[in-house]
Amino acid sequence: MDRPIAYDKLAREERFVRMRARDVGGLRVEQGLPPFPDLTSRQGMRERVHGILVGELQAMEGAGRTVYDFPDAPWEFTLDMARQVWDESRHVDIYLGLIEHLGGYVGEFPESTILWRCACAEDAAARVAGVNRGLEGLACDVFNQLVHIARKIGDPILERAVDFVLADEITHVRMGSRWLNELTKGDPERRRRAIEFQDTIDERFNLGGSRRDGDHEEVPISIAQEARRLAGFTDAEIERLIQSTQRSPVY
Amino acid sequence: MIDRERLAGHFSVEASAKLVRHYRYAEERLMRVLGGWIALTPELPAKLLFGRHVWDCAQHADLWGRRLPELRAHAQESEPPNERFVRFMTLLESAEGRGQTVERLTGAYRVLKPHLVAIYERHFALANPVYEPPTRRILARCIDEERRHMAAGAVIFAGLFPDADARGRAGDWHRRLRDALAEAGGVTGEETQVLLADVEADRARAASDVVALGSAFHPASVPDDLAAVVHRHGAALVAGDLERAAGDAVEEAQAAVLDEYAKVPRPLRSSELVAMAKIGAYRVVKLRLDGPAGVAVVQLQWRHRDDGWRVTSAQVVPAAAPA
Repeated sequence: MDRPIAYDKLAREERFVRMRARDVGGLRVEQGLPPFPDLTSRQGMRERVHGILVGELQAMEGAGRTVYDFPDAPWEFTLDMARQVWDESRHVDIYLGLIEHLGGYVGEFPESTILWRCACAEDAAARVAGVNRGLEGLACDVFNQLVHIARKIGDPILERAVDFVLADEITHVRMGSRWLNELTKGDPERRRRAIEFQDTIDERFNLGGSRRDGDHEEVPISIAQEARRLAGFTDAEIERLIQSTQRSPVY
Repeated sequence: MIDRERLAGHFSVEASAKLVRHYRYAEERLMRVLGGWIALTPELPAKLLFGRHVWDCAQHADLWGRRLPELRAHAQESEPPNERFVRFMTLLESAEGRGQTVERLTGAYRVLKPHLVAIYERHFALANPVYEPPTRRILARCIDEERRHMAAGAVIFAGLFPDADARGRAGDWHRRLRDALAEAGGVTGEETQVLLADVEADRARAASDVVALGSAFHPASVPDDLAAVVHRHGAALVAGDLERAAGDAVEEAQAAVLDEYAKVPRPLRSSELVAMAKIGAYRVVKLRLDGPAGVAVVQLQWRHRDDGWRVTSAQVVPAAAPA
């Protein structure tokens, strides 16, 4: 097997429709819809949960590739990544169930591979910075808000299941913080490049201004400050993220 | 009275450490291979099966690796028994093509894991219960979990590939790998014949590892009026009437749709609606087109207008393996 594999080798069943995120966002905006599905309707909730399902799939695939792609990395690093593969596979199981719970089906909405592409960075340090801190940080934001909304609408199944996923994601961010430090010890240039990669991911996943600092019910995706602190983000990093959301381009 | 039999041992400390390093090599390499295969495997049940087992293999490798210093050896060291075993693992790993899930499942779940179970069980039976309980505990755990993996692999295989062609391919691959394993002398490097534990599709045992057995698209999710139009559109493509098919598109998209259809190999035998996704009022439909020259998949964007469902864009996309 190649190390790493080409982006377009990501394999899917035929029932999935793959499209560029930009094209999907464009078609939504053309119809007067927000570029990213909101949580104000059951349809929006299904669409959001479907997006999370494919995100979890890609996270599992990305972590699996990390286990394969870096045979010379420290054994403890590989163990953490293998654990993450298992966690993500359970998350896929959970979201398959939640899609059914919400009356949807697998393939109901298009899949973009933007997350997978981020998971293909050639350097292990960049990969954990981008995926574990950037993308799993986004997952903390999205899931924290989903738990809040589920509680508000009285859906204990959604609330409980997603809350456990959130706990796992916080753990994955911690893993990312640990390995970003350990893999770049004594190599400030490698560390700078990894953090720069994470920053580009944070910018990209502000999703055209959808992620913002604010109340769960007032902004499309709210920044989960408390969950992020638990995961090991510093106040300075959270502040920097909030600043970046204010300069992200709109679709 | 002293029971001398109780203290009789089959393995020396050094021999035990050597075996542990060989086991660790097999478990670690399988962990990496399963991890690498996840992204390359289209079928969701198989993808999730690999995802579940990467962590178990990692823990087996870790347990073996942590046992080593207790046997006067270096921690976390893997060692293949010989170069022929490395070649066997490389052959097993080589089933990485999009349509090779049959071979992937066969290699991991019908050859390597059954071999490990057979060897672990023999080791467990021979290891001294007085002074080798640490090794026996690891063996017992690995045996139990590998047997669960084998059962899950068999359930997933039977669900995904019930046809004779797949069973034939699996049989061919099984023979090839078994021969390579025999040449290596198995995971110990000293086997005169390949030991393989029996594999049973035990659903109860596999229950915690089997997720998402269904992989099929449900056509009922497509509205009747759209399904009828898409069916008619597919029939026009199969008949080679591209003008009629392009006539389903809005006027401004017709030329681009015709250009896209020019890429589809001809003749065609059949068309099938295999996916439908929603973007607001748009419906993105995938049509699978089969012909003697191969398979093509077109992704069509439909929107309902005053004059009915119309195509707003079409794109030929890579064909996925059939589920």
